[in-house]
Amino acid sequence: MTLFDLVLRSMRKNIKHYYLYFFALILSVVLYFVFATLQHDSAIIEQSGNRLGSAFLAAGILLLVIAGIFIVYANAIFLKRRSREIGLYQLIGLKKSIVARLLIVENTLLGIGALVIGIAAGLLLSRVFLLLLLKLIDFDTTITVSFSAAAILQTIAVFIVIFALTTVQMIVTVYRNTLLSLFNSDKTAEHPKKPKTWVAAFLAVLGVFLIGFGYWLSSVMFDNNFFINILGVMVSTILGTYLIFRVTLSWALYQIRKRSGGHLGLKNSLSLAPLMHRLKGNANSLTIITVLSAMTLSMIAGAYSYYYSTERETQLQMPFDFIFEEKGAYAAEIISEMDEKGIAYQHGVVEILSMTGRLEEGALAIPSNELLVAIISDEQLQQAGIDVEAPSPGTASLHSTAGLSMFLEEKLLPVNMLLQDEVQTSIEIREFAEGNVINWETFYTQVVVDNAYYEELKEVLVGNGYAEIKQIDGFHILEESDMEAASALYQQPKYIESSLHRDYYSMFKSSVESNGLMIFIAGFLGLVFLISTGSILYFKQMTEAEQEKQSYSTLRQLGFSVNDIMKGIIRKQAFVFGLPLAISLLHSIFALKALSSFFLSSILVPAVITMVLFAVIYLLFALLTVGYYRKTVKMALR
Amino acid sequence: MITKIKNAVKSKKETDTQTVLQAFNVRKSFGSRANVQQVLKGIDLRVEKGEFVGIMGASGAGKTTLLNVLATIDRATEGSILISGADISKMKDAQLSAFRRDKLGFIFQDYNLLDTLTVKENILLPVSLGKMKKKVAEAEFRSIADILGITELADKYPYEISGGQKQRTSAARALINQPSMVFADEPTGALDSKAASSLLGTLADVNEKRGVTIMMVTHDPLASSYCSRVVFLKDGNIYSELYKGDKTRQAFFQEILKVQAVLGGDSIDAL
Repeated sequence: MTLFDLVLRSMRKNIKHYYLYFFALILSVVLYFVFATLQHDSAIIEQSGNRLGSAFLAAGILLLVIAGIFIVYANAIFLKRRSREIGLYQLIGLKKSIVARLLIVENTLLGIGALVIGIAAGLLLSRVFLLLLLKLIDFDTTITVSFSAAAILQTIAVFIVIFALTTVQMIVTVYRNTLLSLFNSDKTAEHPKKPKTWVAAFLAVLGVFLIGFGYWLSSVMFDNNFFINILGVMVSTILGTYLIFRVTLSWALYQIRKRSGGHLGLKNSLSLAPLMHRLKGNANSLTIITVLSAMTLSMIAGAYSYYYSTERETQLQMPFDFIFEEKGAYAAEIISEMDEKGIAYQHGVVEILSMTGRLEEGALAIPSNELLVAIISDEQLQQAGIDVEAPSPGTASLHSTAGLSMFLEEKLLPVNMLLQDEVQTSIEIREFAEGNVINWETFYTQVVVDNAYYEELKEVLVGNGYAEIKQIDGFHILEESDMEAASALYQQPKYIESSLHRDYYSMFKSSVESNGLMIFIAGFLGLVFLISTGSILYFKQMTEAEQEKQSYSTLRQLGFSVNDIMKGIIRKQAFVFGLPLAISLLHSIFALKALSSFFLSSILVPAVITMVLFAVIYLLFALLTVGYYRKTVKMALR
Repeated sequence: MITKIKNAVKSKKETDTQTVLQAFNVRKSFGSRANVQQVLKGIDLRVEKGEFVGIMGASGAGKTTLLNVLATIDRATEGSILISGADISKMKDAQLSAFRRDKLGFIFQDYNLLDTLTVKENILLPVSLGKMKKKVAEAEFRSIADILGITELADKYPYEISGGQKQRTSAARALINQPSMVFADEPTGALDSKAASSLLGTLADVNEKRGVTIMMVTHDPLASSYCSRVVFLKDGNIYSELYKGDKTRQAFFQEILKVQAVLGGDSIDAL
């Protein structure tokens, strides 16, 4: 029998062990290949220029790291399950070098198989993903996926490197381990030690405290030390999470167990006890999974929120479809052009007082700088078709977008706007309103006052030469179908005098494109990450199920039914999957709460949808695991 | 030459004893239609309350199969088995599980303790579904642990104690639910001789003091000399039975050795 025969025979006999690792390999190849195909797709590159390409490249590297870690991890579990077999080869007298060669041949076969199957499946799937991407970024061209040789070569090259890594891993396993450790590797459960009471109690409480502190810090971090705060939030929540898994949990479980006084009950015997025996080894991976889950979840929810609120955000920034500032001639010209094309529009003229001012100290969490202020009459805005609430006589409402509103707090009201004239005329601001009343490209801090007050201010401020009067021509396009044509007229070169010549329609389009790409990449990476972590938890549980088989058969012999035993196992799975999920959901809720101040509109809906989806996928993996356990328990007797 | 001395040494007292286990014509075969191997070929057996029955025989004689079938872990192909009056051959799997949990106790050769549980938690496992009141269970645990001499070990994990102590733990677990009958499969198989005789002494003690009915499979004549009766199996049939009666353990041991020699001689003859 040659070495190759031995390989084939052992692979045939061991399908059960192989399919897990093989599945991990294929999955990684498929996902990476789909990504590479999209990255090299001529249609996408053509339509969007370089911007998409570089985003894809960055995401591709991240994807590679995730896939690499996933495969190495799956391989480690795979090797551990087979260590008895590896030991047996050596016991019957095969040299280590031959055993290593055997494993390398196997790995090569598996690798080639995974590449072939993965690329084939990837070719089919990439079309689905391309359609999804195009839909998200709102390109309505019909594109066929071209067969990309570059993508195939890139995938093969990348995975050869990963296979080399796993080969090294296998060789190390063969050469580093003694026969004895190979034979005992499926028995290495740790033995819980009695925690040193007060140290453990202190650390246990510290873990909870650190997370709480991180949450608190994240809610007040928008001040001068923003970046230090962000770092503080990260360090304190990650450390806290680790302590929770490493100390708090085992401390709590120990207390419960001690209190039971030996009367543990079947459910706890099958959940609490085995958990305690593996907590030390699992603390690291659970922490990493939890923290990365929280990050992924926040990333996806954030990206989805951007995408979800694109329209609303753009509207809040650009209340008019387009404007001209101090360009009456252009306004007249575009009016005649639109009339000619039969585009229905509403035209309004708004007069503003432009001057410098600053908010009084203490009104913001940051030092207040000099601002370019536009004072605007509510009546004129209403006539121009901007729906604005009238401020009470003699006071003002401040209108702004994200830049400033992040640092504004309702509870500080009223605050004074100090105009930079001789006497520092002060305007009382009673209200912060969401969104601009004039398109954002004018960069004014917009202060709306009632008409009588406006006239009063105008007389004083223009009279003494501190304010300038400027005329804004604002346009609303009445029919949605005309939006594109009107945008094209506005974007004619003759009107463009600065790089900030923006209209609502083109701005919306480009936002949809970039936010669509962002949600696609975030979603794709998130999916890959979720599948990887879910699989890792699943693989780990499979190994544990194998290790505990003897316990299940004992319990069955003692007369416990499969359902009795499953109840305990389900409780354990609730811990294994539920705890990382619950903590990462909690983390991301606070992360998103902090993030939400970057948005003008509410991100509750997209955030909740993302979280529910996330939880559902975790649940699927948990169900898969429970299914595997049920099979194991059933097979445990006969 | 095969000499059957079935029932030769029978000295059963036909008194008012209570029957715990009754097996009629129990057969068990393995394999599919093409290759059927009959392991039990019609066993009739009766165990009275308080008996300590040993089952002996050469490898492949069907000892463990008989134990598994009687203990409801495996199903007989034919025949009926009554334990405490209940016909287990007619029960469904779920009923069998519940029956094992409530009425039977088990001691295995390799202890089969759960590594992640302490000695006490292991012992209390059979009553862990909460049918026994915690107070009762606690009292029961105390008295059994006391008899078996493992009170001190209650909070230790299996990896911290010796083989003999593990088997005592396993025995305690078998007794905690006050079973009608305890089945032991080669309980001394993995123990050194000192630990083995100490455990057997304790089992005999428990059998006597608590009146627990025990059935033990063993290939060790010394182990079976602790029993009140020894049943010899050969090729799936009951070959002979020995009652200890009022004999000393030494005398009983010699008798067992004699029967075993005949049994062993048979297998040499057969070659």
